[in-house]
Amino acid sequence: MNGIQVDINHLKKGEVSLGTSIMAVTFDGGVILGADSRTTTGAYIANRVTDKLTRIDDKIWCCRSGSAADTQAVADIVQYHLELYTSQYGTPSIETAAAVFKTLTYENKDALSAGIIVAGYDDKKKKGEVYSIPLGGSVHKQKYAIAGSGSAFIYGYCDKNYRENMNKEETVEFVKHSLSQAIKWDGSSGGVIRLVILTESGVERLIFYPDEYENL
Amino acid sequence: MAGLSFDNYQRNAFLASKTHSNLPKATSTGTTIVGVKFHNGVVIAADTRSTQGPIVADKNCAKLHRISPRIWCAGAGTAADTEAVTQLIGSNVELHSLYAKRQPRVVTALQMLKQHLFKYQGHIGAYLIVAGTDPTGAHLFSVQAHGSTDVGFYLSLGSGSLAAMAVLESNWKEDLSKEEAIKLASDAIQAGIWNDLGSGSNVDLCVMETGKDAEYLRNYITPNVREAKQKSYKFERGTTAVLKEKIIDICEVEEEQVLVV
Amino acid sequence: MTSVGTGYDLSNSVFSPDGRNFQVEYAAKAVENGATSVGLLCEDGVVLAVEKLVASKLLVKASPQNKGSGANTKIQTVGRHIGCACSGLVPDGRHLVNRAREESQQFKQLYKRDIPPVALADRMGQYVQAHTLYNSVRPFGVAAIFGGVDPETAEPHLYMLEPSGVYWGYRGAATGKGRQSAKAELEKLISSRDDNSPITTLEAVKELARIIYIAHEDNKEKEFEVEISWCSREHTQGKHTLVQGTMLEEALEYAKSKTSNAQDDSDDSDADSDDAMQD
Repeated sequence: MNGIQVDINHLKKGEVSLGTSIMAVTFDGGVILGADSRTTTGAYIANRVTDKLTRIDDKIWCCRSGSAADTQAVADIVQYHLELYTSQYGTPSIETAAAVFKTLTYENKDALSAGIIVAGYDDKKKKGEVYSIPLGGSVHKQKYAIAGSGSAFIYGYCDKNYRENMNKEETVEFVKHSLSQAIKWDGSSGGVIRLVILTESGVERLIFYPDEYENL
Repeated sequence: MAGLSFDNYQRNAFLASKTHSNLPKATSTGTTIVGVKFHNGVVIAADTRSTQGPIVADKNCAKLHRISPRIWCAGAGTAADTEAVTQLIGSNVELHSLYAKRQPRVVTALQMLKQHLFKYQGHIGAYLIVAGTDPTGAHLFSVQAHGSTDVGFYLSLGSGSLAAMAVLESNWKEDLSKEEAIKLASDAIQAGIWNDLGSGSNVDLCVMETGKDAEYLRNYITPNVREAKQKSYKFERGTTAVLKEKIIDICEVEEEQVLVV
Repeated sequence: MTSVGTGYDLSNSVFSPDGRNFQVEYAAKAVENGATSVGLLCEDGVVLAVEKLVASKLLVKASPQNKGSGANTKIQTVGRHIGCACSGLVPDGRHLVNRAREESQQFKQLYKRDIPPVALADRMGQYVQAHTLYNSVRPFGVAAIFGGVDPETAEPHLYMLEPSGVYWGYRGAATGKGRQSAKAELEKLISSRDDNSPITTLEAVKELARIIYIAHEDNKEKEFEVEISWCSREHTQGKHTLVQGTMLEEALEYAKSKTSNAQDDSDDSDADSDDAMQD
């Protein structure tokens, strides 16, 4: 650091971070969000059973990576915006949710370290959607998205194994296998694998413990 | 030239490293605090040592703070900050419950705390375990100085959190009874007291059961009572010899009687 | 006007003892004397039309043949899919639409979707109402008819906003000097149709041209032009567009033909019943 170029994305001293493996995948009848459950302060695991999958609206959820404080604050603010939006204009689209996330992360990019995946099931369009919003505040609509420190290890795996129009069971397996690898190779990911499945029929939550996903 | 000038950055860094007069540092309490949920309530506990660097500043300080009658808070980090932030939010929670005509909720206190701490970007050095009972049940949370929060069945924070967590991880089980939870929490604090240099002295405890008033047990365990001194170090009267006595009149005193008619 | 001279009409922020805000009522008067504007909600969209009084022979004309003459258009576009026709003080109308454009852009920036006409009407309502509260401002001297198709639902919407800040959703809306006869015509037009043969935008363009001609009857000595715009699902893909060229020509032709021989039977439409305040 030479005093002029300051790395704004390094965590402040003592800050809790989500060194993370997160992903969201669209499939035939909806979308699945997945995450590990480790939060760290330096080398210490501050929480081994964290829930990084956060509700924004009934069928719009997000995966959080980066600073725990920043992403929780941003998610809370987006939730507030969409609640207000719903009371005035009805159910928001996933794109609208992603746009609000973007506005907050882009306009405060100097102060935030937040990498977020927004995913949801659109009851009107009858399909799942995934938007990735990385550090700078850009928005990328994708068939599936991976993020967090652990994602670096599974780009190849996901690219080879993702297929369009998978069914729910296939997608659960895909997410489980992908995160299993991410957790295996990334030191700052671990704990349990949490999934949230968003479909026409509602919200479903799954949890997988290490002895189940470690030897797939 | 427009913009901020960083011309003096290196000079200041150099001066800071060379100068003997160190800048003042905030006192940080090395601490052990824990929280444990049980079947119909939650218990929090803390040690009672307060430190300023290597010095024990207070052997029996209170680290358990009341936010509302049934929501209590254990604080680690900067002592002044944990006290101040806890009183501020306590005050606002009371106003809020008066306004809403409802019992205060733990999530309300938690949300107020995290938004306040986030606003100050970690400069308020408060690391808290927030617990309590409300009409929705018993709750246990933690908040970090930067504003992030966690939920858990058992939590520990502070410099002794590693020692405490070792106890919690090995002895915690589902559906603890009240007595088991109290035992587990105080054991975890004692792990901090004995194994962490920043923690010591006694165990303070607060038990919150749903539908009941909170029980604050100050000095629940006192394993470090100072042993009575074997001798009295008081000096007997007259130990010091009187060598000389002299009385000086500083001013003239005139006496006069005034008659009241 | 018994109120004049009592002092209660000098400021926005003062009520009269019987609970009226005279400044707002005066603003409504400015609208009543303005050129006529009408709007009609159709099966497949909305149509707006205004009477444009020609203030000077030197002004650029807007004739169907003279397509390049967009110099003096009166109907304004708020966003891609919403148009606005105003009666009353023209600069107030321009300012109002300017604000409406900001609102619609701000909405789109935050939520990444076009503003629904209801939401726009509501936001403009709040803005106009705020101008009835403060000492430092005067109320808007316009009534604005907002018409548009919600791109999300493809539903057409029509709202009229008044100087008090009140707004309602209309099937047919009219304001300005010729509103009485225009309203009567709109009512006749709407009641002549049932659910089986709802009016289309294509027909409405002609009918509104005719209604502007009828509304102008009482003001015959003044020269005028007709300006029409529409948002049609199929013909303009919901986009707010001015009606021009042969289509406008045909509409005006239709209006002229209908008004010359319909003059006698339009006499029954002059009841001024809903106009409570008279001077």
